Amino acid sequence: MRLGRTKFATFLLCFSLACIVPHVLAKKKDKATSSPSDPKLALHALNRLTFGPRPGDVQQVMAMGVDQWIELQLHPSKIDDRALDARLEPLRTLRMSSREIAEDFPDPQEINQVMNGKRAMPSDPARRAVFQVQVARLQDRKDRKEDAGKNAVAGPATDKSSRTSIEGSAMTASAGTDGGTTADNSAMNGAMSEPANSGGSNDAMMAAATPSAKPTPEEQEQARRREQQLYADLEVQQLPSLPPDQRFKKILSMPVEQQMLFADSLRGGKGQEFLEGLNPKQKETLLAMNNPAIVVMGELMQAKLLRAVYSQRQFEEVMTDFWFNHFNVFVDKGLDRVLVTSYERDVIRPHALGKFEDLLVATAKSPAMLFYLDNFMSVGPNSAQALGIPPGPYGRGPYGRRYPQPRPSPGKRPSGLNENYGRELLELHTLSVNGGYSQRDVTEVAKVFTGWTIDKPPEGGGFKFDPRMHEPGPKFVLGHKIKPKGESEGLEVLHRLATSPQTAQFISLKLAQRFVSDDPAPALVDRMAKTFLKKKGDIREVLEILFHSPEFWDDGAYRAKVKTPLEFVASAVRATGAEVDDAQPLAQQLNRMGMPLYGAQPPTGYSMKAETWVSSSALLNRMNFALALTSGKIKGVKVEAAQLAGTSASPPTDSDATLSALEANLIVGGVSKQTHDSIAAQMGAAKGAPQKPDSKAGAGKPVAGARPADVSTIAGLLLGSPEFQRR
Amino acid sequence: MSVTRRVFLRNSALAVVGTAAVPRFLARAAMGAAEPGLRAKRLVVIFQRGAADGLNIVVPHGEAQYYAMRPSINIPRKAVLDLDGFFGLHPSLASFQPLWKQRQLAIVHAAGSPDPSRSHFDAQDFMEAGTPGVKATEDGWLNRSLHGLPPAPQKTAFQAIAMGPSIPRILSGLEPAIAMNNINDFSVGGRNPKGSPVANAFEAMYNHSTDTVLHPTGEETFDAVKMLKAADPAKYKPAAGADYPKGRFGDSLRQLAQLIKANLGVQVAFADIGGWDHHVNEGATEGQIANVLRDFSQSIAAFWTDLGDLGEDTVVVTMSEFGRTARENGNRGTDHGHANVMFVLGGPVKGGKVYGRWPGLDQSQLYEGRDLALTTDFRQVLGEAVARHMGNKNLNDVFPGYENQPGKFLKFLG
Repeated sequence: MRLGRTKFATFLLCFSLACIVPHVLAKKKDKATSSPSDPKLALHALNRLTFGPRPGDVQQVMAMGVDQWIELQLHPSKIDDRALDARLEPLRTLRMSSREIAEDFPDPQEINQVMNGKRAMPSDPARRAVFQVQVARLQDRKDRKEDAGKNAVAGPATDKSSRTSIEGSAMTASAGTDGGTTADNSAMNGAMSEPANSGGSNDAMMAAATPSAKPTPEEQEQARRREQQLYADLEVQQLPSLPPDQRFKKILSMPVEQQMLFADSLRGGKGQEFLEGLNPKQKETLLAMNNPAIVVMGELMQAKLLRAVYSQRQFEEVMTDFWFNHFNVFVDKGLDRVLVTSYERDVIRPHALGKFEDLLVATAKSPAMLFYLDNFMSVGPNSAQALGIPPGPYGRGPYGRRYPQPRPSPGKRPSGLNENYGRELLELHTLSVNGGYSQRDVTEVAKVFTGWTIDKPPEGGGFKFDPRMHEPGPKFVLGHKIKPKGESEGLEVLHRLATSPQTAQFISLKLAQRFVSDDPAPALVDRMAKTFLKKKGDIREVLEILFHSPEFWDDGAYRAKVKTPLEFVASAVRATGAEVDDAQPLAQQLNRMGMPLYGAQPPTGYSMKAETWVSSSALLNRMNFALALTSGKIKGVKVEAAQLAGTSASPPTDSDATLSALEANLIVGGVSKQTHDSIAAQMGAAKGAPQKPDSKAGAGKPVAGARPADVSTIAGLLLGSPEFQRR
Repeated sequence: MSVTRRVFLRNSALAVVGTAAVPRFLARAAMGAAEPGLRAKRLVVIFQRGAADGLNIVVPHGEAQYYAMRPSINIPRKAVLDLDGFFGLHPSLASFQPLWKQRQLAIVHAAGSPDPSRSHFDAQDFMEAGTPGVKATEDGWLNRSLHGLPPAPQKTAFQAIAMGPSIPRILSGLEPAIAMNNINDFSVGGRNPKGSPVANAFEAMYNHSTDTVLHPTGEETFDAVKMLKAADPAKYKPAAGADYPKGRFGDSLRQLAQLIKANLGVQVAFADIGGWDHHVNEGATEGQIANVLRDFSQSIAAFWTDLGDLGEDTVVVTMSEFGRTARENGNRGTDHGHANVMFVLGGPVKGGKVYGRWPGLDQSQLYEGRDLALTTDFRQVLGEAVARHMGNKNLNDVFPGYENQPGKFLKFLG
């Protein structure tokens, strides 16, 4: 499967036959310095530092000079990105703290607490409406379960079983290619939105995560009945005709039964008429009445795609994606649903081009990682908590007055070491699997990080060091004695790891794999690793070495990488210059392609290698996506078919010219003769055949000499071609 | 591997020389027909994701401890479908009873992964990679099991199938494998049986491409699409008596049976079923576990009925990432445990027997004082299926780092 260099050269040779700029292969030994006007260099840089070139990008980069453009991308703060900010403006949760998210978009656990009277119903009317409906639904479900329990005598409960088989599948089915079926796709309507909690072993958390699952057939039936009632209910029916503010107020003041009916009518993305004209906060509230988690995860995914497609700070987005994947967390593991927004915004992005150690420490202290890899509940076996020594600043006994927390039931109280984070820290975050550590090191590192926990997890609290959970005594990590000093022990270990030659090597290798090829030259990785150590883990410095290396500019690296589904989808949207009103359908496409956003369940994140992403089903999905995109069949994404072939003063006048124009616009750098001929033959065949009307395709203005249907079909064929699968 | 694949493609390309009009798959089938001695062997792996509670699935009703540790969620002796006086099936597994009596269904108890992880994703990952404790393994054991298999009667794009949207870990790797969510969606540019013009254009592009990665996969893809259309698996309706329950798992197995019956050359296949993570209100003879077990067993039993004679060369193995605590917890559920139960069903299976050593449920016998201890490594079970049924003797490649000695096989295969 590995791409042979020689094979690739042959490929390039073939490609040059049809290339618009055939001269680029003229023996360019010394790269960027040689010919700043070379479009191929600009294209290569764009292919690697961005989510794919948009029309006109190559010319812009050439005008600026490739080196200068790379420098600019390495300093994203110098790039104006206000147009993107405007697009992100309506997505309010992106700017909220985890605590605020937890308050407005409650987790099933919080709902449960309110239902059991352990927590007060919020007084704010918007929040109240959200809680109220969730509590009522949960109560409803509970009642029905009890009823079913009473009547559970006869009948093969096959319909019920479909419910239990779905419960938990969202998370147990691991995401992407790394582990299994990704439930039934549709992040918004299906599995991803269900309470899921399998990764960890915090039983208390899991216990609370069961309430709302995918609706059973009975529930669906009930929902249908409710829906009928809803439409029978004149008051609700008239809601859409009310002015937005009045409508919103009215909904908030409805009795809870009616609110439930209303919330049901929003299921599966329906009921858009109720949302018409509302401001973002109002919309979010109403959507949260139906499903709180959907709002948060949905906005996160929208933002990721909008950034990939529209951010001017493309390289920052690429690096954010890279580090998120390196320090992967899974958004659908319990509380991470409210924590990932802050994780990406406050932990990953600010450090994406900074110092590796800062990034490492930030991830180690992030509630999202502490929860994902269970460290928040890792307890030193000899800690005060494990030994049952009661808390209190004066060491009072269990009957002393100062006894701040109610004593949890002993069975639920975590009392042991959890090695999950310790192991991944060494294996995946720093040293790598062959980094020369032992099982003993894993255990000792786990002891070091006991007490690194989350302050009030369900409320979206922040990092807390809890000395009562911390294992006392010295630890021995990688041959070093770590003296007992509480939280600082962890910082000492992180410092050692961040400055280790193995870490330098591993991070350099992963960067080179992302930016050069699946099997980068060891010499390049060595040079990067040296810089990593010399510059104290300065990521930007390491990347400077990478982007100015002969290996990066080598012909063998050109189009050497197969795009991941995210890269493919984003680059296709960028190439067509599409207008994305709603990125959710694109996110669903990624589910289908096995790369749900924020949905990599294992801590390894997604693979960056070709073999993972090249499969029959993947190719078929890509081809079908390409055709759907260019013919305007992806909801929320507008493609002007007529403009794909160019809007210049001289539009192509026949189908051959149309094909050439589309090739030039969509696949900068050109396609192979084989691809060109295959499409040309297809066009010829289509011409000869009686033309059947294709009403859905090509909404744009016809290009002279080519029907819009031709344009969109050809564009789809090009985006589904082998050439477009590479970057 | 690339060698294998290239050889395979070259052979198939040669086969059509001179018979340009004959579709490649027909030529291949013809080649297969020339070797009458070979019969297609199939291995179907089913993953119960979420950690199934083995102790309430194949119940040790002869253990007083079992009843002591599970006061509210045990399966009462009178409800258990007794197997051998000591073990019994959960009543929801009634459709397994005839298979047991016909000696086609075997059980391995106290089996699973030796890794101590109680994390769903780690444990699933380990069991699919086939290398407990080693995260760096890039491919899955079921994919590796295809390396060095004896030549199949027909080697096709359908040799390895996963029912789902993407290739799961267990099937990822160098051998071509196909993930299929729905047979009807496996096409490009619409479902026209004659192939659409865009499909033809894509096919020409990928077939003529010099891209060393995309060309072979593309070619396989269009082979598969055409094979599927020609075989028209939709015409294979479930056999009489094969009543698949509604739901994703039943659908998966129903479609898998169609692919097998359509003679598409399936050698290994994978399907999964979730919904086993019963921390709260697990239920006993009724309730959550009863429901999911009904779905599970009725689907498998329907699949078996549906396969008919093809079952003779088929072995089905089930697995789950770990078992659950021997004691019930404070919420009438169970938490993450260790060893579990595996089912093995198939023509060559010596069924009607519970294999493996029972470790007991006394406090001192429990793993870490809380879980069923492990006495059979899952790789020993799978190794036997891979070696003795599929005929791949290269078990060190399939399960690297695990010494699978044929002498130690449980010998559940005849």
